[in-house]
Amino acid sequence: MYRIILIGVIFAATGLAGAQDLRVPASVTAGEDATISTTGSGRATFYLLGPGVSSKSDVSLGEEIHLQARELRNAGDYVAIVCSSTCQGAGFYVTAAKPASLTFLVHPSRVPVSQGDAVSGVALPFDQFHNLVLTPVTVTFQMTAGNASVFSRQVRTQDGAAWFRTSSGKSAGVVQVVASLEDLTARRAVQQVASDPCNLRIKGQRTAAGILVETEPVHDCAGNVVSDGTIVSFTATEGSSRSTVDAPIKKGVARAQIEGKGEASISVASGVVMGNELRIGAKP
Amino acid sequence: MTLKRRFFLCSRSALILALFLAPALYSYSADSAVKVQLNLKKAGPREVESLTEQGILRDYRLAWTSMAQALEFNTPDPLEGPFAGEAKQQLLQTVAQQQHSGLSQRYVNQNHRVEGVFYAPEGDVMELHDTAEYQLQVSDGGRIIHDENIVLHYVVLMTPGADRWVIRHLQAVQQF
Repeated sequence: MYRIILIGVIFAATGLAGAQDLRVPASVTAGEDATISTTGSGRATFYLLGPGVSSKSDVSLGEEIHLQARELRNAGDYVAIVCSSTCQGAGFYVTAAKPASLTFLVHPSRVPVSQGDAVSGVALPFDQFHNLVLTPVTVTFQMTAGNASVFSRQVRTQDGAAWFRTSSGKSAGVVQVVASLEDLTARRAVQQVASDPCNLRIKGQRTAAGILVETEPVHDCAGNVVSDGTIVSFTATEGSSRSTVDAPIKKGVARAQIEGKGEASISVASGVVMGNELRIGAKP
Repeated sequence: MTLKRRFFLCSRSALILALFLAPALYSYSADSAVKVQLNLKKAGPREVESLTEQGILRDYRLAWTSMAQALEFNTPDPLEGPFAGEAKQQLLQTVAQQQHSGLSQRYVNQNHRVEGVFYAPEGDVMELHDTAEYQLQVSDGGRIIHDENIVLHYVVLMTPGADRWVIRHLQAVQQF
């Protein structure tokens, strides 16, 4: 509206208005035809500028100018200009059509179980021409593990965005995170993994090569098997010497071969979690 | 050395200096012409860190400078970097159509009042509302056919790239 008034003032002030006039629609929905009416007579050049559009064509004044749907696919501000002996311009807006897709961002893709506010997601509705739909709509967020619902919430979009944040579930495994809007659905998967080890315990025995130590199956406090690849550190203290071996968990158990012939004290840790201490006698 | 030869050498040096300085002066004037006031106090749920705010301010201003250059000189090169996704596609399309139609657009005296309205929990998208005021000049083959001062409202989606924030979506709206 500001633009239309301003253009009118500029042209009226310079005495250029009157040769021809054009009337643009107040607002057009993306992907729909529109019509611009003109006054005057004779041939003129018509220009249309907008997001992704810059066209020029010959028109007859006094007739309607038809804007095709393909010219008005992008939401935003358009300027229509008609030039014969002078130029006359007017602006109008194209607004987004109804939602046709959901952009859904979910973080993280892998998360430890039982972590507060660890999973979050943002959904943005777009129309079929990739315009952001700013009219408020209700998006339903759901998190399911197997057939069990872990979380469900309905959120109204504000300025074209809806979001949620929630805690991770209690069991390791794949969790489906879904955002839906009427018949539109966007689905993402989050891998829930065991949290830090709990009750880390080791056992060991002397062998010909030294001492073989291994953990009992490593679980977190909720009983989930800690992921393979998690590093467990074994530290052997023999007299005044001290050595550390890092070993990854494989199939739930971490193993290490420690060299040494004397009596040794072996401790275990994974991250900030300490386990039991083991004493192995000297080699006979 | 004769006076004539001295004059010739001086003129040549001045010309070379001018040729070297011209692009630098141009980019400075283009950049300084874009004024951006940024307020991210209302952006949430994630709090905006000071370095992020500086990055947004720098990259948003650069994006508008680049867009103005691309649409004035009908070249897609300035769009490489500051824009991505749908915003970049639309601008490339506009430049291509302008090359075909012989039109060009000048964005003069840009003033942007930008407010952050949404910053995703993980910081992977930020939504801005920009009340932009500038003089738009449309030319056909060098002849100005439209010249107006306008105030437009833009909804902007920016996402972090490898080394900068990029505009992924730029959509003018009637009102916020």
